[in-house]
Amino acid sequence: MRINRSPSDPLLELDRVSVHFPVKRTTPFSKRRFIQAVTDVGLRIAEGETFGIVGESGCGKSTLANAMIGMVRPTAGSVRFQGDDLYALKRSAFKAARRNMQMIFQDPFSSLNPRFSVYDIIREPLYIRGGVSDAAMRSKVLELLKLVGLDEEDLNRYPSDFSGGQRQRIGIARAIILNPTFLVCDEPVSGLDVSVHAQILNLLMDIQKSRNLTYVFISHNLAVVKNVCQSLLVMYLGKVMEAGQSDAVFAAPLHPYTKALLSAILDIDVHGTRDRIILKGDIPSPIDPPAGCRFWQRCPFAMRGCETIPADLVDVEEGHRVACHLVSGFSSEQIAAGMDQPVSPQPVR
Amino acid sequence: MTDTVLEVRNLKVAFPSAGGVIRAVEGIDLVTEKGECVALVGESGCGKSVTALSVMKLLRTPPAVSRIDTHRLDGRDLTRLTDREMERIRGKDMAIIFQDAMTALNPVMTVGKQIDEVYRRHLRLTKKEARKRTVSALKLVGVPEARSRANSYPHELSGGMRQRVLIALAFACMPKLIIADEPTTSLDVTIQAQVLDVLKSMQREHDVSALLITHDLSVVANMANTVYVMYSGKIVERAALKELFAEPLHPYTQGLLASVPRLSDRKQAFVQIPDTVPHPLHKPSGCYFHPRCFRAGDPCRQRMPRLNGLEDGRQVRCFDPLRQERETPS
Amino acid sequence: MSKRRVLLQVARRGGSILTLFKKVWQHPKGRVGLIIAGFLVLVAVLAPVLAPYDPYDVTQRAAKGLRPSWQHPLGTTITTGQDILSMLIYGSRVSLAIGLSAGLALAFLGALMGVMAGYIGGFADNLIMRIVDVLLVIPTLPLIIVLTNLLGRSYVVIVLVFVAFGWTGLARVIRSLVLVLKNSNYVKAAELAGASRWYVMTKHILPGTSHLIIMNTTLTCAGIMVAEAGLSFLGLGDPTAISWGKMLAEAQGGGALLFGAWWWILAPGAGIFLAVFSFMRIGLVMEEIFNPRMKTSSSIHKLFKHLNNTYLDEVFRSMEDDEAAEPAEQPVRVNPFAAGSGHD
Repeated sequence: MRINRSPSDPLLELDRVSVHFPVKRTTPFSKRRFIQAVTDVGLRIAEGETFGIVGESGCGKSTLANAMIGMVRPTAGSVRFQGDDLYALKRSAFKAARRNMQMIFQDPFSSLNPRFSVYDIIREPLYIRGGVSDAAMRSKVLELLKLVGLDEEDLNRYPSDFSGGQRQRIGIARAIILNPTFLVCDEPVSGLDVSVHAQILNLLMDIQKSRNLTYVFISHNLAVVKNVCQSLLVMYLGKVMEAGQSDAVFAAPLHPYTKALLSAILDIDVHGTRDRIILKGDIPSPIDPPAGCRFWQRCPFAMRGCETIPADLVDVEEGHRVACHLVSGFSSEQIAAGMDQPVSPQPVR
Repeated sequence: MTDTVLEVRNLKVAFPSAGGVIRAVEGIDLVTEKGECVALVGESGCGKSVTALSVMKLLRTPPAVSRIDTHRLDGRDLTRLTDREMERIRGKDMAIIFQDAMTALNPVMTVGKQIDEVYRRHLRLTKKEARKRTVSALKLVGVPEARSRANSYPHELSGGMRQRVLIALAFACMPKLIIADEPTTSLDVTIQAQVLDVLKSMQREHDVSALLITHDLSVVANMANTVYVMYSGKIVERAALKELFAEPLHPYTQGLLASVPRLSDRKQAFVQIPDTVPHPLHKPSGCYFHPRCFRAGDPCRQRMPRLNGLEDGRQVRCFDPLRQERETPS
Repeated sequence: MSKRRVLLQVARRGGSILTLFKKVWQHPKGRVGLIIAGFLVLVAVLAPVLAPYDPYDVTQRAAKGLRPSWQHPLGTTITTGQDILSMLIYGSRVSLAIGLSAGLALAFLGALMGVMAGYIGGFADNLIMRIVDVLLVIPTLPLIIVLTNLLGRSYVVIVLVFVAFGWTGLARVIRSLVLVLKNSNYVKAAELAGASRWYVMTKHILPGTSHLIIMNTTLTCAGIMVAEAGLSFLGLGDPTAISWGKMLAEAQGGGALLFGAWWWILAPGAGIFLAVFSFMRIGLVMEEIFNPRMKTSSSIHKLFKHLNNTYLDEVFRSMEDDEAAEPAEQPVRVNPFAAGSGHD
């Protein structure tokens, strides 16, 4: 960690990160294709912040999260954690940096080893790091167990005795035992009952406040993201569509995909009616995505130029960026070429 | 509008197991009118999936044991029908859409063939005729390039497409009742919106009754006419959609509604219901919800309240439902 | 790591295996398998004590071809006058010894290869899997015939060939499981905390495969015992040893069918059948335990027989609404077949 870091420096900074996986070639002579899981993503996360990543399957959010915590090396760009280039660190420094990060997983049923007792699960990170006596370990585990709302007698039980929400609590206790500074929450409540969502979310928020943790919160539920995140980015097929301070983005969502996501949250307020934007077609595959805007095939407002001309992220206002031709417009030559003509009827994959 | 399509009275299902008897469904009534969409809302372990299977008589007995007083589909008594006779009804008069399309569809048969089968079996069409109907059914649910897509295998299709295939399968013979068990839960948000749209329009246009089983209140808000709220095997509230959302009577319903995060919320702690749903083998005494209920009183700990019918047609199972508060001015 | 910790972990690992066998015992079909297998092991171990005669004794010329009697419960062989019961008892030694030794060695090798291929991946994975592909192609029976011709007929050759070629099946299965386990979230969490590959392999991967290894081994032993019987029948085994397969060969050659000495054929046949049956039974019950969906309804039917109808009626009656109006009479939630099952 750089010594001359000030508290205003971002805790985590990604600079034009791309992660592309090669697809196995059927014959040695066929063209090499790539799964462009993440392309050209940049972000800055401040200390103590909750940063949201929003998107559906195939958008690359899991790969991005893995790249952030040192699980997957980016094929381009850099990941700077506490000022240091994470993937350039020497092995021991790399391990030390990673101990400052932990992850909470989506599926509470597969994130705990069914053969380990609760005690084993929670103390495991501490045990791996070593340097702590058995007694100290036990008291630490007990302290965390109580913090997440479980009892001492649960220590000797096994995951199969617990419900999804309780398992998630165990996972949270495991995640914070090493006092990390950075926690990635990958859809932490999607696999749980609705009445338990609130409990787990509140627990996560309380822990964040009391320990001044920095969160990356991955979710497809924009209502939750709006409540807990200070800034966010919206991803589609590996690229950022819209990003910024959450207040600004929610006050004025500009990208058609963001709008579609918002309208897809079926409001349970039966009295109001909202304009529903229903996208056509399916989420395409991230192998060899289109050259222009990645969203153009499903976009209700697509123009001819969207197919071939990539859209860059531009600042719309302070703390709000969008990658969309509707917002940034075309150059005069492009308009002359008719690139701004809307495409209709909508092509359907 | 007073044709009753589905009538289920006093359904009880238990699973004897080594640890005791699991009381999965404890005497529930379900009634569906023609063209009505009835939602059965509850969380995991409340018994709603078991209920869906029981309505279709797909529950394996053993290991389940079930009792039912009335079980009618469009007036026809289903209780005494043999398996053979039920097979003729399932798929034709009554159909189910499962949550996970990958396990609901046969992986080694093309989707077209699977839909063809329904036509050939129930309507006795020839191969050609069946395929024509299949293609039009796929078109109806919004599958693009239906003719060529019919020759795809389930794993070649995306999640949303598969779910549409399930909808096409269910609606193939225009049944009287469609049961949809968490039809969109496993899908992405934007795909979910698409598929629900299809389901809703199919149901409304063809005046088919639907029993929608879900834990997702937003899906309910979008589709249902009447809502049954289920908790730990019992129905705790029944009301028309608007009334339920505007004025929930049972504390559990109120808690559920409050705990769903909304875009209009301000940044504050989420409303939560304490603890968890009871373990099916260790249900609390008295009202099953009382350990989590902020209004629990002495009678709640000792006795199970009855499902009371109110004058406006609503039902609620509570000794102290929320309405009373409103009636007594503070 | 303290010694005490190591012992505790071995006990825990052994404990989970012990609980597995306990579960097999509780299953009625499994219990039958365990009893028979245990019986056979006892017979094999105590053979010198149990056998009434020396099975190798070929000097009793007067006792040739005797029918079953009190003196010779299974009669004697036509050709040499050996007591068949004694031969049967001693024959169990060969079958079980080969089955168990080959099975265990095979399990060890197969598991090791499978875990290495799955966990290390990359070059090791490719190398091991190509070796597997090659080994699968080579036919083992002709190989055994050739080798026994070259090196002399013995069981060592047979066991070596079984082990050298048989590990492939288990390796493949274990490798698939390891691939799944490797990507589990709890492994990820451990790696984030700085776990070494060795830690992950020994703490997470190996224990996760132990059940599969045991189940597979049990079934493999059964298969090896059949194979051994076949090879002995063909005369490829140790000519001086007594084995059930060899007994069958001798019975056929000695004209048992011709002279109607059915006991000579039945005895070794029953022996082979019981050995294989019991091991397969155990293995299949283990599979059922790991994969509860495979359970057939028969065990539940038995549950039903225990549950008397009045109890069920009581349960259903308690679900009624008017029943619920009475405060005092809560439905009896006692487990009728509790008997200290120690269940939660």
